[in-house]
Amino acid sequence: MLNQEDRLDYLIRYLLEEKPNGQELAQSELNSMDEKFELFRGLCNVREAKLVSDEFIETQDAFLTEWNHDRKITRLDDLQPVQSQIYLWKGDITTLAVDAIVNAANSRLLGCTQANHDCIDNIIHTRAGVQLRLACDEIMTEQGRMEAAGKAKLTDSYNLPSSYVIHTVGPFIDERGVSPIKEQLLASCYSSCLKLADEQGLDTIAFCCIATGEFNFPNERAAEIAIQTVKEYLSKYKSKLNVIFNVFSEEDLTIYENLLVNE
Amino acid sequence: MKKRANFLFIEKQDDVYTVSMTPELQDDIGTVGFVEFVDEDNVKKDDPILNLEASKTVLEAYSPLTGKIVERNDKAVSEPALLNSAKTEENWLIKLSDVDEAEFNQLEDA
Repeated sequence: MLNQEDRLDYLIRYLLEEKPNGQELAQSELNSMDEKFELFRGLCNVREAKLVSDEFIETQDAFLTEWNHDRKITRLDDLQPVQSQIYLWKGDITTLAVDAIVNAANSRLLGCTQANHDCIDNIIHTRAGVQLRLACDEIMTEQGRMEAAGKAKLTDSYNLPSSYVIHTVGPFIDERGVSPIKEQLLASCYSSCLKLADEQGLDTIAFCCIATGEFNFPNERAAEIAIQTVKEYLSKYKSKLNVIFNVFSEEDLTIYENLLVNE
Repeated sequence: MKKRANFLFIEKQDDVYTVSMTPELQDDIGTVGFVEFVDEDNVKKDDPILNLEASKTVLEAYSPLTGKIVERNDKAVSEPALLNSAKTEENWLIKLSDVDEAEFNQLEDA
């Protein structure tokens, strides 16, 4: 049986060989697992949505399964609600074993294509595996146009511990700041994801802080909209969904605690 | 009479209601590069009426009223930047008939 390093070596070789000038990227000897992993991740990030061999998938899935589960996995049972049906949890969303995690996507919906970029879209696609981009590409090809802000699309989550990924595109905030339209688009992101989760009969959904990363939505205002929209949805539709607000930074944790726990 | 809803203007003339872009929406989305209308003629309030791809965002616009689409701005499909114009003759989206006038009257004045 291959060990993790053998698997990585195979995956890197495969990805380099399918690139026209891939060998140039190979650079010098890669010694550590970390270096190899970073190269693998970057190659997957820039890889187009095209067919891949069964052997690659098998090897990648074995690698990612071990890599993803070699961390503390968090389930809903591990958490305490802060309000009825509402949970707050700080950590890496790709370690959550819940029905659906929400990905902050862009309007191409194919995952981050910048090698090793430090964003949630990148890490979700990397840890899910190359199948996720193929699944998104299929959705987008069928749709025939870019994904509008404020909507939601569901895919399998492949090698992630969650069952599904719900992809939503938030509003991008430029130098002119937040406008009523953008506030409404952010609220639509939350309500569209909740509606889709209910349509699919899911029990639990974990939201990241949509649009607050690369899309520059101010964190405090985004959290207010997120919480208000979720609460309104749950009560209006008598939804039984459990909702986890997943924060990654200490700043967002404080903001959500103030809004949810200390209110 | 002119009203606004869903970030769009609605102008009533006889029994035809013309839906057009507001300056706020134009500012928010940037230069429009692609326009695609829905095929469905009968729309309810808040149903999608068109998809816009603009320089700053990709957006689905929703009908401000229930009614029947009797005309679409097909010129904007071949020349999407018309939707950035300040003139209603150029930046209109759809014309609706069979609208409940009471529903229209309840909308916010523009």
